[in-house]
Amino acid sequence: MIDATSAEPNRFDPARAGGRGTVDLLRSFRTAAALGWKMEANWTDPLLFFIYSVAKPVASALILVFMLQVIAGPAGIALRPFVIVGSALWSFVVSGVAGLAWAVLDDRERYRMLKYIYVSPSSFLTILIGRGVARLAVGAMGAGITLAVGVIVLGVPFNPLAVDWPLLVVVLVLGVITITALALVMAAICLQTRQESWDYPEVVVGALFLVVGAVFPLSVLPLPFQVFGLLSPLTWWIAGVRQALFPGGPSSIGGAGSLWQQLSGQLNPTPVQIVLALLATGAIVTLASAILFRAGEARAKDRGLIDRTTGS
Amino acid sequence: MSGSIQAPAIDARGITRVYKAKPNDVTALAGIDLEVAPGEFFGLLGPNGAGKTTLIKILTTLLLPSSGTARIFGFDVATDTKKIRRIMNMVAGGEQSGYGILEAREQLWMFSQFYGLGAREGWHRVDELIDAVGLGEQRHQRVSTLSTGQRQKMNFARGLLNDPWVFFLDEPTLGLDVSAARSVRELMVGWRAAVPGRTVLLTTHYMAEADELCERIAIVDRGRILAIGSPAELKRRVQRESIFRLELDRLAGGPGALARLPGVISAVAAIDATAGADAPARQTVVINLVLGEDSALAGVVAALDGLGAHIVALAKSEPSLEDVFVELVGRGFEDDEDDSDEGGPRDRSERLPIEPHEAGQPDPEDQAR
Amino acid sequence: MSAPKLRVFVGRPTASPQEAANWTPRQVWANNLRSIIGRAYPRVRGLTREPSWVIFQMLLPFLTTASFVFVYRALDAPAAYIGFVVIGGAMTAFWLNVVWMMAAQLYWEKDQGNLELYFAAPMNVMSVLVGMAVGGLLMSSTRAISILFIATVVFGVSFSISQWALLIAVFVLTLAALYGFGMMLASLFVMWGREAFHLTQLMTEPVYFVSGLNFPVGRLGFIGALAIALIPLAVGLDAMRQLAFVSTGPTGTPEPWIEALILVAMTAIFIGLARWLLHSMEERARREGRLTVRWR
Repeated sequence: MIDATSAEPNRFDPARAGGRGTVDLLRSFRTAAALGWKMEANWTDPLLFFIYSVAKPVASALILVFMLQVIAGPAGIALRPFVIVGSALWSFVVSGVAGLAWAVLDDRERYRMLKYIYVSPSSFLTILIGRGVARLAVGAMGAGITLAVGVIVLGVPFNPLAVDWPLLVVVLVLGVITITALALVMAAICLQTRQESWDYPEVVVGALFLVVGAVFPLSVLPLPFQVFGLLSPLTWWIAGVRQALFPGGPSSIGGAGSLWQQLSGQLNPTPVQIVLALLATGAIVTLASAILFRAGEARAKDRGLIDRTTGS
Repeated sequence: MSGSIQAPAIDARGITRVYKAKPNDVTALAGIDLEVAPGEFFGLLGPNGAGKTTLIKILTTLLLPSSGTARIFGFDVATDTKKIRRIMNMVAGGEQSGYGILEAREQLWMFSQFYGLGAREGWHRVDELIDAVGLGEQRHQRVSTLSTGQRQKMNFARGLLNDPWVFFLDEPTLGLDVSAARSVRELMVGWRAAVPGRTVLLTTHYMAEADELCERIAIVDRGRILAIGSPAELKRRVQRESIFRLELDRLAGGPGALARLPGVISAVAAIDATAGADAPARQTVVINLVLGEDSALAGVVAALDGLGAHIVALAKSEPSLEDVFVELVGRGFEDDEDDSDEGGPRDRSERLPIEPHEAGQPDPEDQAR
Repeated sequence: MSAPKLRVFVGRPTASPQEAANWTPRQVWANNLRSIIGRAYPRVRGLTREPSWVIFQMLLPFLTTASFVFVYRALDAPAAYIGFVVIGGAMTAFWLNVVWMMAAQLYWEKDQGNLELYFAAPMNVMSVLVGMAVGGLLMSSTRAISILFIATVVFGVSFSISQWALLIAVFVLTLAALYGFGMMLASLFVMWGREAFHLTQLMTEPVYFVSGLNFPVGRLGFIGALAIALIPLAVGLDAMRQLAFVSTGPTGTPEPWIEALILVAMTAIFIGLARWLLHSMEERARREGRLTVRWR
């Protein structure tokens, strides 16, 4: 019970409206990440762990492995590293992109907390990213398990001593930034759409699957799609991880008759070229996603979509 | 067992409801006996956590009692669910249900189909009800854009779609502003005037609402009915006398002149507790008059004339239903809400899931996500 | 206070509550049929009021299907395998509708507070589920047709169909079995709460794999056989592929007419189970108080 008689008169301090910059940002991020973790990444539940980190990513990889097996038979074994890496990384992309989008839908439709988060002084963008981090982590674990299944069960030849670790670290960091940027775009889209858009992230990522050389080389695609593929940071990311884990293996970007060969005169891109291309395309996509997110947020605010509930 | 024409609208015998909970089970209803006659406007009044909503959910076939029986016009809530659902409807306060993408008119039409109306008949009835509840201008507005009051009017219209014989209203004015709440109460009154013979069971913790609308009220607390009666009967439990505040221009002989009159139990000068030490002296005389019954007032008024006094103001002081509650239980509604559990605005029992957690502990369903 | 227009409030006049409560079988059937239409209405209306699904449910899924086509092209696979992927992509639309818009839907309804209104109404809740299915079928069909048509044109898929009647019958039976399966799951999901959302995730890639979405399910051996016995998507896909691409030869799976019979049995079993489960779950939910509680 508030003891009104002992309260001292307060004067408004304008400095309180200023915030504390980076300190507030970090606190918001940590809090949102912790919330996302509690809600989405409860690894003490074996069913959840099995579904998101084992069943889904491994099944995705097995679909492709069997497609290889059906057509190429034993000769397809040599291509397994290619498809398994691509599939594992793609599961990671799906998980990461879906994380932020589902956070928006969850908070708006189920918990009805989105409006309260929005009007709090914390950065909405920071909170969303924090919320999505947990699902990124789940996706990362799924990717790791898929790769492990590929090596242990499906006979993918893997030599840890041959791995280009510096390339791997750089490419992974840049890739996570890009995936987060894409996730923000999806979150902005879901701010505009109704409850039934739960599967939109998977659908969008599924469409991108076509042009990033995840499970087949870009050279198979018609020319316009190859151009789009080369402009996508995810293409360079996947190629970079493949190159790092299996140096000298088949490239999704290069190869005889590929657009890359026509443009550069080289059969395959070098690690430095991959990193630079990833940096450049990633920067463009990140900038564009920031603009799109702000535009989406403004539109949602203008139309009163932030606190609406939908459903049919 | 089929119902008979003379069956009560609502007949509850020994209803209990226990929810499994950790560490101890929660008894939401501890033996409710209730009979509501056809055509009656009956109220269940009690604080949050009293068991009102649990009882309504049992009577509307959404919940089974742990023991006891309940019948709606003779139909058993446990076994005759389909029949009961054809003759009753329910509206709860604070409802957020509905499909935001639909217009109000469409939302109602969808439910008209669920209640067995034909397609065209449904549109016709929906349009009538929309006009009747005052949502004419919002008929083509999406549900997601309706205000709280408009949404509740729409819910009320939904409740009337099937012309229910028993209408269950679970805190229908919860969260509404004064104007919207008044509109909803007027609708309740208007409906009953239009179709006499229909029964309403209203749960509320707004005493004034129960006092205004209900012919009989059951005061409920902690799963038990403490008292049943009309508002006047319940208030007489607390205060059998009639108390009046009488303001006169003058009174020769002071209050004692009135105290000796027949039917007057006491007449005491009122102390103006709000006046400060520097307040100007009152120009009138204020008396707190306690009478054995209202009819004694006539004699007092006649005597005043003989005493040369003129009445400036006369007001009757009545106990409120909360006074009745305090009399019965020994604490007020606010005391009960202060003591209630860790912050939830709804009933302790009525918000518990089947495997509830202690408030403050993580919900196991949360963790599953 | 003045009462509103008195006449307006009078609905269908009935002499007594007993008369109002006792419906004839015809009235019961009519109520359930109308409820199907009523519940389908918001789904259909939603399509026109938020058209983003045209991109997200038609164009982009086609691109996903195209990805798997290019996998086979990269492997120089026979043309029939392109057709397998196209049919698989088309049927995915129905599977996702069953999983997301039916199986999990009652759980969402409970979350929004609509479920208790459904159970308090006189119609059978199965009508609500069928209505959801019918409403969602429009979007799914559009997605499936667009994938089929565009992919056939773009990738030059040629079908060799000799038994049109059986193919159509298998398609219809597959849908019936799928939606029966969805109804069965819907009642389970009501009781399982938040787990429902996660279980729908389990029904995407893992089911695609065991159903042979992009390759003949016969190649999975015992697992494939099990899938044919249990998952309507697997058996329907295999039967339709055998009928649409006769020239591919034996697949190691049952003949299409046998798979059609399996679908008939599945439909009957799933719908029967759905009825029983819905009733049982409602009783259990009423006993335990799960129908109306929404957690947050």
